[in-house]
Amino acid sequence: MNRRQFLECAALLITGATAAQAGFTLTEEQRVYLATAPNYIAKPGEFLPAEQKATLAMLTETIIPRTETPGAIDAGVPRFVELMVFEWLTPEERAIFLNGLNDLMATTKESFGAPFENLSEKQRTGILEELEADASDSPWYDLGNTGMGEFVSDAPFICKLKEFTIWGFFTSEVGATQVLRYEAMPMRFDGDYPLGEDDSSWSGMVI
Amino acid sequence: MKAINQDFDAIVVGSGISGGWAAKELTEKGLKVLVLERGAELRHSVDYLGEHAPDWKLPYQGKKPRELYREEYPVQSTSYAFSEATRHFFNNDKQNPYVRDEGKPFNWIRANVVGGRSLLWGRQTYRWSEQDFQANAQDGHGIPWPVSYKDLAPWYSYVEKFIGVSGEPLGLDELPDSEFLPPMGMHKIEKTIKGRLKRKAPDLKLTMGRAAILTQDHKGRAACHYCGPCHRGCSTGSYFSSQSSTLPAAKATGKLTLRPDSVVEKLIYDPDTKRISEVRVIDSRTGERFSFRSRIVFLCASTVGSTQILMNSANEYFPEGLGNRSGALGRYMMDHALGMSALGFFVDDMDSYWYGNRPNGTYIPRFRNLKQQDESLDFVRGYGFQANVVRMNWQTGLNKKGFGADLKNSLRKPGMWVWALSAFTECLPDKRNRMTLHPTKKDRFGIPQVVFDATWRENEYKLWADAVQQADRIMKAAGAVFSIQQDSIEVPMGSGIHEMGTARMGADPQQAVVNANNQVHGIPNLFVTDGAAMTSSSCVNPSLTYMAFTARACDFAVKQLQAGKL
Repeated sequence: MNRRQFLECAALLITGATAAQAGFTLTEEQRVYLATAPNYIAKPGEFLPAEQKATLAMLTETIIPRTETPGAIDAGVPRFVELMVFEWLTPEERAIFLNGLNDLMATTKESFGAPFENLSEKQRTGILEELEADASDSPWYDLGNTGMGEFVSDAPFICKLKEFTIWGFFTSEVGATQVLRYEAMPMRFDGDYPLGEDDSSWSGMVI
Repeated sequence: MKAINQDFDAIVVGSGISGGWAAKELTEKGLKVLVLERGAELRHSVDYLGEHAPDWKLPYQGKKPRELYREEYPVQSTSYAFSEATRHFFNNDKQNPYVRDEGKPFNWIRANVVGGRSLLWGRQTYRWSEQDFQANAQDGHGIPWPVSYKDLAPWYSYVEKFIGVSGEPLGLDELPDSEFLPPMGMHKIEKTIKGRLKRKAPDLKLTMGRAAILTQDHKGRAACHYCGPCHRGCSTGSYFSSQSSTLPAAKATGKLTLRPDSVVEKLIYDPDTKRISEVRVIDSRTGERFSFRSRIVFLCASTVGSTQILMNSANEYFPEGLGNRSGALGRYMMDHALGMSALGFFVDDMDSYWYGNRPNGTYIPRFRNLKQQDESLDFVRGYGFQANVVRMNWQTGLNKKGFGADLKNSLRKPGMWVWALSAFTECLPDKRNRMTLHPTKKDRFGIPQVVFDATWRENEYKLWADAVQQADRIMKAAGAVFSIQQDSIEVPMGSGIHEMGTARMGADPQQAVVNANNQVHGIPNLFVTDGAAMTSSSCVNPSLTYMAFTARACDFAVKQLQAGKL
């Protein structure tokens, strides 16, 4: 592959355009590149009933809200969390998560007479802060837990929810490109690139 | 069994860093060469399936599939380079097991594709120094090297000019300069640290990492595009791998036959000619057995792989393993104890960031026991530091408390600078550190499984302890606002993925497996040129030295063939 072909290919992979749109042909083998795969959250499969889905969506949005930039719902985080709960967690961990979600739904209705998603931002944050205070002795909060090492299997619901929400948000296409900054093909290295007061980090876990 | 007599001049076992070089050198010198690779076919570029995949395309957006890794990749998944974007390069531990003693674990990280670990290596590239080649003779650990730096220096130059090494010349005896392409750039914070060290720790040098990554176009390969994770494979061949460099050169001669899925079971020794007469191969897909013949054989199957083949080729003339009249085969296993020694946090240069993902760090060359043993130290030899710098980000703040816009805002911005110092400590050749073949446990091909009995010893622990103390001094001198240390070696032997020894080089056939030309003592047409032949370990990354030894041994072997001696 020469440099021109490479850059064309890279551009294709990054934009996710189809080969036909880009005007050149990928070999059959190149189609299996992970870079040309559908986004992870586009994976099919229904797991949660509508009521849980609505609450879960608002939970993730309460953790990472839309501001002047997109929030958790915009980034597809509720779908990410749902997939992780059913495809990635062990049955024991899933039970912690689902029991936590159901408890939250039940106690919210009991205390406020309305589902979580209908509460004010202040009320929603208050509920999460209380859950976090109760969970604060979990090793999940230990210094150095970056989500890359051992998953804290017995961490309470709120910890699992936060980990999946934050991870799912900043590794999502929307989060990585519109909230963080993404540059797949920098072509050069500059070790003194100016950083403004309000500038975001580069995205990418680079493993 | 099918005997295939296609009259190869040479058979090379393995297609990684060493095997690729053997293939290139031998074909370019006119030999008809068969390369046998136990791993699967892998095409340069086309099969780099994880290359440039953004996080949102990865399964679980990069969270590691725990059950799969636990069941099928419990050892491989401990490698920093292992992820869903690279898994297809690695060995499957369940399919290809070895005997791992949980009480004394050894991590054997293996690739299982054409190109081997040259696809996955860290690309740090350093020459050994004269001091490294003299160390055994001077302090009495192991046996003396029968070669000196001067013997190898022209071969270092030879391979460097081909592979392309970026770095900064320093003119140091303890870290001889390579044939360099321009070095990569430093972060501003690294320049700040370098300036402080110059004043407050003038005995140290901080230099740009020397890496087999191109900073300018070189021999048909493109300069680095700074995407970041080299080990996913590089279509532009911007880092050295046998896939990008040596194997294409060998193919271009028209003299190369490369056979993937070819597990070498054993070598057959002919007592009349005192030569290897056959290489026995099992096709890993069909189970079919083949036999190949050639005039010379190069074992480049990795340290453990090559020694496993020699051991499994034992016969009545070599009952303890081929070429093992010394008792050294399988012994004197080494690795570098490496990993995070210290993390320092910095608040300087907060308005400076980076553009481009530099796949390289900085380096502090060895500064202990230079020239001669420092009598005030309770250890021999030394270590170097490899350093990387990042800024804290959403990942390091993943578990912080809070919710909402403030949390989002604090997570999206870069935080403090973190400078990580990793000591790479030299490991002494110790007779007790060894690998053997299990008497009854076999793999799916009927080949006895490898058993490891190797662990860090006293000198490695002392080196590490000193490195941690020195790292603390360095962090203070560098201006860290605070730092944390890793008090002891955290990882088992093998984790450095620099396993060396087990078929060591030495002039005396009573003490060593190969001679100064990597030729097995007593079997003149058999060469071992990978890490197995190493007699000491230095503290610098070894791959460049395997390349130099391999090219040198090929030159010797072909001259011997031409002179009618082989």
